[in-house]
Amino acid sequence: MRVAGAGLLAVAFAMIVSAAVAVIDGGGAAAGLTAAALITASVGCALFFGSQVSSSTDSALAFASVAWSWLAVSLAGALPFLLTGVVSWAHFDDAIFESVSGFTCTGSTILSDFDSVPQGLLFYRSMTQWLGGMGLVVLAVAVLPALGIGGLDLIASEAPGPTADRLSLRVRDTARRLWLLYGAVTCIVAMLLFLVGMSVFDAVTHAFTTIATGGYSPRAESIAHFDSVAIELVIIAGMLYAGANFSVHWHALSQGIGAYRRVSEIRWYLTLIAGAFGLLLWVNNGELELFRNLRESLFYAVSLGSNTGFGSSNYVLWMPAAHLTLLVLMLVGGMSGSTAGGMKVLRLQVIFRYSFRELMRARHPNAVIPIRLGRTTIEEQIASKVVGFVLLYLGLIVAGGVVLSGLGVDPVTAFSGSVSALGNVGPALGEAGPTSNFLVFPRAGRLVLMAMMALGRLELFPAMLMLVASLRGLNRIQRQREGTKSP
Amino acid sequence: MTPKPPKRATLPGYAQRLTGWILSRSALLLRRLSKGRVESATGVTVGAVWVLIAPLFFVCGVIDWLDGGPDAVALLISGLVIQLVGFFILRFSKFPSTLPLARLFTAFVSGALAALIAATIAHFATGVAPTIDVALAEASATVTGTNATTIEPETVSLGMMLFRSLGQWLAAAAMIVVLVRILPHLGVGGLDADGGVATRSARRLAPRSSSTMVRLLTLYMGLTILLAIAYFSAGMPFVDSVIHSLTTISSGGFSSHSGSIGAFDSPAIEWVAIVGMITAGTSLPLMFRALRRGDLHRFVRSIEFRTYIGLIITAVVAVLAWSDKWPTADNLRETFFWVTSAISTTGYVAGNLSLASYGSEALLLVLMVIGGMSASVAGGFKVMRFMVLGRYIGRELRRSIHPSAVEKIHLGKSSIGEVALARIIGELFLATMVILAMVLLFTADGLNFEAAFSFAISALSNVGFAFGLGGPNEHLQALGAVGHLSGALLMLIGRVSITPILVSLGGIGEPLQREVRRWRLTRHEKAVR
Repeated sequence: MRVAGAGLLAVAFAMIVSAAVAVIDGGGAAAGLTAAALITASVGCALFFGSQVSSSTDSALAFASVAWSWLAVSLAGALPFLLTGVVSWAHFDDAIFESVSGFTCTGSTILSDFDSVPQGLLFYRSMTQWLGGMGLVVLAVAVLPALGIGGLDLIASEAPGPTADRLSLRVRDTARRLWLLYGAVTCIVAMLLFLVGMSVFDAVTHAFTTIATGGYSPRAESIAHFDSVAIELVIIAGMLYAGANFSVHWHALSQGIGAYRRVSEIRWYLTLIAGAFGLLLWVNNGELELFRNLRESLFYAVSLGSNTGFGSSNYVLWMPAAHLTLLVLMLVGGMSGSTAGGMKVLRLQVIFRYSFRELMRARHPNAVIPIRLGRTTIEEQIASKVVGFVLLYLGLIVAGGVVLSGLGVDPVTAFSGSVSALGNVGPALGEAGPTSNFLVFPRAGRLVLMAMMALGRLELFPAMLMLVASLRGLNRIQRQREGTKSP
Repeated sequence: MTPKPPKRATLPGYAQRLTGWILSRSALLLRRLSKGRVESATGVTVGAVWVLIAPLFFVCGVIDWLDGGPDAVALLISGLVIQLVGFFILRFSKFPSTLPLARLFTAFVSGALAALIAATIAHFATGVAPTIDVALAEASATVTGTNATTIEPETVSLGMMLFRSLGQWLAAAAMIVVLVRILPHLGVGGLDADGGVATRSARRLAPRSSSTMVRLLTLYMGLTILLAIAYFSAGMPFVDSVIHSLTTISSGGFSSHSGSIGAFDSPAIEWVAIVGMITAGTSLPLMFRALRRGDLHRFVRSIEFRTYIGLIITAVVAVLAWSDKWPTADNLRETFFWVTSAISTTGYVAGNLSLASYGSEALLLVLMVIGGMSASVAGGFKVMRFMVLGRYIGRELRRSIHPSAVEKIHLGKSSIGEVALARIIGELFLATMVILAMVLLFTADGLNFEAAFSFAISALSNVGFAFGLGGPNEHLQALGAVGHLSGALLMLIGRVSITPILVSLGGIGEPLQREVRRWRLTRHEKAVR
């Protein structure tokens, strides 16, 4: 509860900042934003001060509180869209979709007419992603590994980073460092973008969503709006940075570049993106002229490889083989411990090793072969966690795809939309490409996608845990009630 | 319960004895022939496959000659060549006294390849396939029981038609032999005794694996004959009913008409096909036990069978619900037909799916991936393996709450070992990687995204029909040489599963691998120092 309260306060703060932007811009959104801020802040205050952190928290409960507060924040985050009248009350679920998409750093939008949306709200939209990313960085670097979710405790095995051994003690310290880094990088990117020719507003909003690997852009055409190589390069660098592990970044800063070299995941991450880049270059060879091809292939390899989802052109027009490459990138996503979504490169490494070990074992049935990551050996328990995660992940994608196409979306759009939502990418293939929006999905389909975004962001297992923990809580209450009744 | 006295005087009893006699004769023949000098399991397998497959050429050649078809000479001559080469190879090789697992893998894969080559020769020699890549794709479809073809069946002579359907039927029969005799040694996760509930019961059918084999093959033949009679009495011409019963019960799917089952335009025939396809996807040992004792309750007790039927019914309901049509008898039949054709990986089509919605396409693809029951002749990943995976996910979820809980995975009454689990999972991941690579090749060869993806899944599961093009069966035609070759490979991978293929490939690269490992080890030592 207290966590939720704190989250809501942060959102209220975001709304106030955005309102200020709106006032400066002179748009009509200031009143709506302020009203939303007031409501959120009051609820947040009530929660924050009205509850106390119970001293005995087991890990499942701790995580459940984080997850629930994420939901609370997303719900509150929908208020500004409604109060400013951008999304009508009759479509309140769309407002929630936009907000969930923001706070999960996905970047799928239902806004179609960007010119009519006030600047303040666009700023707010970017800020939701930035705040979402901020929560995520801590979640991904410190909280999830400490809980050992989906085998993420692996991160610690290679990069002895600022991981929290004890959740309550060190998390605050870790968070402070990470946020410092996060904020600093955002500032740098914003400044660079400003230097290469963006307006202040565009520079700040794009920096927000780049570092959060979100992908909201206040322009309908996304990055293609600017059509500038320099801007694309800056954004590419930003996305590449944001898709990598922040705790490794912190180490690199404090100990020198050598920190990167020790982490095998970085090698895989870069190889994957480079491989995709090469493949895209080859596939698009006959279609685009060389320079254009270089530029767009690189941009998309990085944009989807880090699960940001900015667009610099319409890749839906590309060859089918390119689509496949992009889809695989979306599926895998960035590194663990980053704000990027997807299955994570780390897990890809593990399942690669796992399957090839099975091949070896088919040949030599009695061999004992450890699974290695770089130079460290993984425990069987953790490997099976990773495998369980990946299986569940793939299963959810298939289930989502089938349900979406059952609702009348064509299979390519449905399955890629499902990959995109679960991996928190943003654009999909088919009809929901980077220049389109998610209104192509029917209303019920958007609800499914929304649920998938939340699931994907919370790394599946915790989301399940969250339900289990709350059920357990409810049970306990009921039991107590029955206990009081019966005597 | 007292054991029942063996019934010798019944028809199934005679049939069983006949099958047993044929099997033991051919085994004896092979053993007598293979007294060569070179110890090679691969040689013996290849030779055996060729020696045993040649009669198929002769039979089809003679029938074609009687029918006055053009392919008789080509079939007879190529059959003779294959027979001779087979004898020759057998003459010079003998079965090794010790057989390491890796060699067994290689022998298994090379046996499949030998059958593939023989079928390719038949297609090429008769001129049914104009180029070698088309011949390979057609042969692969025959050997693996996939209904993917570039050929208009009406233009093919009777002998060749029979060759293709008998080929599918024999290949599935060979699959039963492999299932009982070889897979338990290979441990291709989930299909064998370690992983499976079903095949373990297959083993317990009889004390000796050869008598298990005889029983299953007899059942297989009996079902084929029953189905042929059923087709015939539903109004199909005699030759057609033979051909269709051969390809239905083997879940192959080749038809003598380009419209497949839909060409007959008869509800009765379609219902027969539906029942036949469901049977083809059912575990043979399960059927044997249930039928022998007359104990139909066994079906209900088998958890995999329940899931299999449940999947079919759920899919039918979902497809009907997603289409905006009333569930009339016609619609119900059509839905049943497509659903069973997909899940049993037969691949029959009945016109264009008129109830098609985007949802039903996606669902049919999922059903293809799931495939039939384990220990059936159907392709796909098998219902049971997916059930195991579901349990696995559940266990990992529970483990994330209770991190040090130790839990075994149960399926019905039997528990599943960690080794078999790992094998199943490894297989799934490798298959996913193969599919992705193949989709890349298909798209590069000119298919659109949807067509490439659905065809890759369909070929890997040995189904045949796919989506995204004008008709359900035009994909192989739309592809070029690269597509044909990768399609042929994909079907083969689907049939013998990925692990054996990669392992036997690894057999070629093993010395290299050893060098690489040595090099890495020295590098690592240096780094440590």
